[in-house]
Formats: sequence, C-alpha cells, structure tokens
Amino acid sequence: MQSLRYHTAIASAKVVRAALRLFGRGATTLPGKVAVKVDPKILQKLCAGRDCVTITGTNGKTTTTHMITDIFRNCGYEVVTNVSGANLLSGVTTSMIFGLKAMKKAEKSGKKVICVLETDEAAYGKIACQIKPKVSLVTNLFRDQLDRFGELAHTRELIAKGLDTCEADILLNSDDSLVSELYKGREGRTLFYGLSEESMHYNNVTYPDKSGVLPASSDAEYCTSCKTKYTYTARSFGHLGAFSCSKCGKTRHAPRFYVEYDLAKNPSDEGYELTLCDGKEKKEDAGTVHLKQKVKLPIPGMHNFYNSIAAVAACVRMGEKIGDNEGLSFEKCASALEHVEAAFGRMEKIAIGDKTICVLLVKNPVGLDRALSFVAGASDADGIYMLLNSNIADGKDVSWIWDVDFESKTFPEKVYVSGDRYGDMMLRVLYSGVDRERIIAKPMEECAELLDQAISDSAVGKCLYILPNYTSMLALRSILVKRYHLKDFWK
Amino acid sequence: MESEKELRICHMYPDLLNLYGDRGNVLSLIRRAELRGIKVKLVPVSIDDEFDENDFDIVFLGGGQDAEQNVIRKDFVEVKGPKVKAAIENGMVFLCICGGYQMLGKYYQEHDGTKIECLGAIDVYTVGEDVRYIQDTIYEADFLRSENALSAGKEGTASDPARLYGFENHSGRTYLGESVKPMAKVIEGAGNNGKDGYEGAIYNNVYCTYSHGSFLPKNPLMTDHLLRLALKRRYGEDYELPPLGTENEDFAREALLRYKEKGNTAP
Repeated sequence: MQSLRYHTAIASAKVVRAALRLFGRGATTLPGKVAVKVDPKILQKLCAGRDCVTITGTNGKTTTTHMITDIFRNCGYEVVTNVSGANLLSGVTTSMIFGLKAMKKAEKSGKKVICVLETDEAAYGKIACQIKPKVSLVTNLFRDQLDRFGELAHTRELIAKGLDTCEADILLNSDDSLVSELYKGREGRTLFYGLSEESMHYNNVTYPDKSGVLPASSDAEYCTSCKTKYTYTARSFGHLGAFSCSKCGKTRHAPRFYVEYDLAKNPSDEGYELTLCDGKEKKEDAGTVHLKQKVKLPIPGMHNFYNSIAAVAACVRMGEKIGDNEGLSFEKCASALEHVEAAFGRMEKIAIGDKTICVLLVKNPVGLDRALSFVAGASDADGIYMLLNSNIADGKDVSWIWDVDFESKTFPEKVYVSGDRYGDMMLRVLYSGVDRERIIAKPMEECAELLDQAISDSAVGKCLYILPNYTSMLALRSILVKRYHLKDFWK
Repeated sequence: MESEKELRICHMYPDLLNLYGDRGNVLSLIRRAELRGIKVKLVPVSIDDEFDENDFDIVFLGGGQDAEQNVIRKDFVEVKGPKVKAAIENGMVFLCICGGYQMLGKYYQEHDGTKIECLGAIDVYTVGEDVRYIQDTIYEADFLRSENALSAGKEGTASDPARLYGFENHSGRTYLGESVKPMAKVIEGAGNNGKDGYEGAIYNNVYCTYSHGSFLPKNPLMTDHLLRLALKRRYGEDYELPPLGTENEDFAREALLRYKEKGNTAP
C-alpha cells in the first residue's frame, strides 16, 4: 500500500497538469516538481520494482532514448519514457506519474513494462538512487556548456556517484577514454559498446582528415591517469577512437557490442547500411560467438553508429537481465532498430510544399562538428540556416563556436544566419573562409522571414539544413507550426 | 615591389589549452594577416616540443580546464620556462588568455590556501575564489585610441576604437605588481579581480586578458595591434601594417550591442 503522501503527490501533479493545459501550456516538468515537493521520495516509489533503463552523457541522449523506446515497443513491450529535454528530477517524475495509467493497464493484460529514462548528466548523481535502473547507459563526454556544468572531470564524477548508488549493469562507450574510465571499480557489471577498430582504421586510411589550419579543440588528448599523450591507432571523431597510453598501458577495451561499417558509401545518405555485432561471452568450448546483423541506419550520420549500437546493447542487456533473452534477442533488437524514426530536431526531414527542410539541433562543439560534417556530405544540401541564441538554457557563452573546425567543412552555396547572436555566427562562418556575399545574417526578430527566404531560395528536390541551438529550436518549431501549419506532434 | 612578409605564430599547447573558443584568436591573427598578403606559418608547440624564440614572431597561450593545466605545468614552468622568460624580456609578442595569463604570473593560490607555483615571467599573482565571473564584458584600452586616432569615433561610445568586447569566465582574482600595467579599464564586467576596475595586463610586448569570446575576432583593432607589434619587431620600426577594413567585425559588434540592449531575460 502506498502512503497518503504518495497519493497526494500524484493527485497534485494531475491538478497542475490540468491547470497548465487549461492555459494551453505544455506540462512536461512542473507537475513532477510539485509532486516532489509533496513527496520527496515519489520517484523512488514510482520506480520501485520496475525495469528501468537510464541514458546519460553529453551527446546523443535523446536519439538513443528514442531508439531504445522504439526497439522495446517493436519487441512487444509497453514503454514509459520522458519527453526530450525533460530529463531532470522534475521531468522524469512527471513522465513516470503520467505513465502510471498505461503501466497499470499493460500489467493487467500481461504485457511487460519497461521505463526508458533520459537523465541529465549533471543530475544523474542525484536521481539514479531513486530510479535504481537495471541498465545504465553512458553515451559520451564532450565539452558542453562549461559555464553551467563546470569541467568534464566533474561531470564524470557526478555520473560515477550515480552509478554507485545503484546496482545497474553499466554500458559504456569503449571509444571514449573519459567514459570508459567509469569501468574502474565497477568491473563486474560493465559492458562496452563501440565501433570496430578495423572499420575505423580502414576509414581513416581511405578518407584521411581534411585538415584545416587548426585542429578542432579536443577534450581528452592526454591520459587521465598518467598525463601522457594517447596514441590512437584509429579515430572516429572528436576524442573517440582506439586510444592507448604508452606509459601506463591504459587502453581501449574491446567492446562486446560493435559496429562494422564502410564509408565507401556515404553515411549522410538515407538507407546507409551497417553491420551490428554482438561478441557474446564465451560458452564453455565454443569461444566467443559473434552474432552479426546488417541493418539500414534509421537516422543518418556517422555519430548515429554509436547511438544505434548503444540502443541495441541496452535492450539486449535488459533482456538478459530480466530473463527475456528470447523476446529481446540480439537479432530481434537489431531488426527493430530499422523502424525507428527521427525525433524533431534530430535529422527528421520535413516536406514544406515541394521543398524539404531538415533540422539538426546543435548544442555543443562536437554536435556542431557532426552536423556540419553531415551537411557537407549530404548530396541534397542546398542551403544551410544556422541559428544561435545565448539564453540560460543554451549557455550564455557562445565562444564554443570557435572550438569547432569549420575550416575543413564545405558549406552549401547559401548560408543563412540568425538568432540573438547572429553577429557572432556570421563572423565564425566568414572566418572559416566563406565569402561575405554568400552569408545572409539577420537578427532573431527576423528569423521567420529569413526562413521564408531560405525555403523559397531552395531548389525543388533539394534540402535546406537548419542548425539551431536549444532555445532557437523551440522558436523555430513554433514558427513551423504557425507559419507552415505543421502539426506540433513532437511534444 | 616589396618583398613578401611572413608572420610565424607559435600556438602553445593547442591540444591542452583550448577552452572557450581560444582557437578563434589564432584564426583571427591568421585571417587579418593573410588578407594583407602576409604569409602565415602556424606552429603548434606542445609538451616535449622544442620552443625557440628565434622561430616565432608571436606566441599565443590560451586557457584550459584544471586537469589540462596540471598536465602542462611542469613542462611549461620547468622545461620551457627559462626560454619563455627570455623571449618575453627580448620583446617577443605574446597574447595570453585566462589560464595562460595566470600561468605567466608568480603563483595561483587555490581556495584552500595552497599556492601553485607558476612561471613568474610577469609580476602578477592570482587567488582562486568561489564566485565565478561569467558575463559579457566591455573594456577600454587607451593604446588603441591613440593608434587609431584617424578613424576614431567618439570617446566612450560604441564607435570608440579603444573599446574592447569580450566574455569572461573565471574564478581567479588577479592582482598586478608595479612593473605590470593593466591592459584596459573595465566598462562592463568584473575584470582582473572585481575590485580595482582594471582588466588584463601588459608587460613589454606581453598582453594578457581574461576575455574569451573569442577575444580577437570581436576586436580587430586589437588583432592589428598585435600584428603591428610583431611585424615591426621582425622587419623594423619603419614597417607599416597595410590598412584593412573592419566592416564585418563591426557588423558582428553591432549585433552584439543590439542583443545587449534588448536584454537577455529568457530562461
């Protein structure tokens, strides 16, 4: 029996949501906030006895959460998950409260329930102890709004703290030296996922970096244990790759779950095919069994190789953990991945009349680097529209745009720039070598008109790529709803 | 025809000190030199790399996260230290931002009182405190006003060539000794220590500031000032830096001012 406090908390959340809806407002965090006020242990109670997966890290959380959710659903599970961005205590609590009904209904009909919860990397330390996840996935650690979170080493400490308050099996990115370090002291329950070193190497050789005048600012070139520069035999992007330290011997762990791929085809193209692999633990005399499955990448871009294998790894591990090896077999999870659709701002292509736009949310240097690479490789790119705001939710400091290697990227012919910091972004693009004539820069107040112009300039059958940061994406979304009558189905 | 001029930039520890867009400062030096037909040679100098002042005209030293600054400390203070000090005494042009600024000083005192020995090339010291200064900043540097007297806008206005714009993000408070001059007066922001109303430091041809932002893209006249110093040192006092417009940087600056005026109240 739950306490009176618990029921009061749930009831309060419902009242708050009803009130917010009356005024036409979204209710993704406030109901949970109120519930936590009434019952500080509410999330713990909501999650007790349930099978939860948490996803944390600096980049790829939303996409990976989305993929995991869709895989479980495709495998016949009822899934409760949080709305993108609502990943603090309040948001996670809100999602769990309003998922109660569906969970109870599913349980009655004998359907199994999984909670897939995206958690903010800085908040993870405090909320993991309440969620008590069975599987905890860490995506990566890249510099992200340092003015808000402080340094990366600190963010990792917060995640470590969270991991130590639960008994979850931990899935770590083998190619991220900062993330894989979380393995220490948690050896028995850690598994790795990553890209196959052979593929990485092959692609580094076939397609060497187009180097700019300066390499992009990197986050982890030196060993955190002995301060020696890492040697890389192959790299994927940023500081991700096959690293090793010549002094203390620290080295990348071979991942159980890995991706084999071939960049001879363009990962910016839809339908790019990669091979997902599961090198299962040894069975008595059989040695390691490698299961392999070809899948079409559901959401394009090389960074989604990581998100894809991470998502499949999380689902397979959960299956092993809860004894549904059959229903959540590697083959089933990998196949289910193909049916995942992009979330708003995550590479979704949207038709506007006979034109196409594609929105790529960029919040930090590595995200912008990936997005620019993606656009440079997209054969249908006919314009790029970049929006930069500096509200608190974005980070007040926009200097990070200078950390990104724009210099080696090819820009589409037409470059549109807006957002509150349109001047900073115009200058950034200009300094990378794009002629001033090719850049149209307008203040935030004119961003809607500029969007009209960019869409109208764009050729039929081609795509306008839009790269907003967080609050400019929210503004863009409401412009698309109001001006282009797109249904706001992303909430 | 005049012979082609060359500028040799030393980017110190680019793989470790590369925080908050410091890379943009190097891009600015390169751009405003190349647009003037000056050939640029950029050399990264990191841990265990040789630093020889004869190889360079200008040295850039940025800031890093604590972990990274700890990695370079020994190499910078003990190995390269004597050569860096000599270069500074010989008038080599330096631009040092935030962590780089602090490391040129005598010491950095942590919150708990522990003193971390720094290079001691310039007479400043820094004390770490809890409250971080994080904000857009405006400063005024008189040397830029006299240098750009012809194009001067009204003193104390946005068009004043002395105006410098930046973004500060530091918890260290830096105090200047007698042989060091502040780089600029603070108009908006905290500056060196939030108390004396000054920002940055100048010693010989060494320019230090807390301003990220990046600093030089926002302040083309400052970029030109450093280029002029470096090229005059190399090619003689008669060397004249060819004129180059600042209309694109001015456009960005106007956008920034417009944004500041509007106020930033959104969450």
